[in-house]
Amino acid sequence: MSTTSQKHRDFVGEPMGDKPVTALSGIGDSLGKKLEDQGFDKAFVVLGQFLLLKKDTEMFTEWLKDASGANSRQAGSCAQCLKEWCDAFL
Amino acid sequence: MSLLSNKSAKEISDLLDEYGIKHGPVVDSTRNLYEKKLKEAMAKGKRPTSSPDKTFYREEEEEVTYVYTTPSRSDFAGERTTYMRSRPDWTEREQERSYSDYSRSKSEYSGKDMVDEPRMYDTPSTYRNSYVKSPPVKSDQKVPKTSSRLIPLWVQFVFFLAVAIFLYIIFSNMETNESLKGIV
Repeated sequence: MSTTSQKHRDFVGEPMGDKPVTALSGIGDSLGKKLEDQGFDKAFVVLGQFLLLKKDTEMFTEWLKDASGANSRQAGSCAQCLKEWCDAFL
Repeated sequence: MSLLSNKSAKEISDLLDEYGIKHGPVVDSTRNLYEKKLKEAMAKGKRPTSSPDKTFYREEEEEVTYVYTTPSRSDFAGERTTYMRSRPDWTEREQERSYSDYSRSKSEYSGKDMVDEPRMYDTPSTYRNSYVKSPPVKSDQKVPKTSSRLIPLWVQFVFFLAVAIFLYIIFSNMETNESLKGIV
């Protein structure tokens, strides 16, 4: 029934703490490296960017695609992951 | 047009508001994204402050052009009636207004010659000509989503199924003393 991945469920199920950026759903090693190069080395920094964009998933998706070269699926997955995390913990 | 990158954060924020783009604070990490959004919005040619007055102006323009392009006044007598018949879905308000214009002009010109009548009938006919244009526009606005059906398709299906099941229940519950030779 659920179309979310295990990674998604793992992230959304608990506070992110100091998890690396690769813990985000949709962010693998290569995308994670590109983000780290720009200073987004932890998941909470990406969360910060998500919050700056007022938790707008479309805006965040576009930003992530520009910043890391993610495709629509990966960026959308990451945005949804962060949105659900915020709904649960923010 | 000055470059977006030369504008202050406040100016970018104001521009985003003008184009109706919802946004957060314009800081270092978000600025590039917002500039890109503004460029897209400008390229699409969205008018920054779109207001409902624009549609009003459009109707006025159409009214003016129709006055100039009316062919001949003597044709109006026949055209008017056909317009009235072919537009049954006009709102009552429009029809009442056109009727009132009609009656007003008729009562005014009861004493005048026939020569004056066609000329003065321009005002109700211009109203009507503009109404000819506006129903397509209004119908687009009034019926944006649904197709040309009065009753939605799914309602028709549900109704058909309900009738079919109802008839089946009646048929299956019928008990007859005679044998059902003819049916089986």
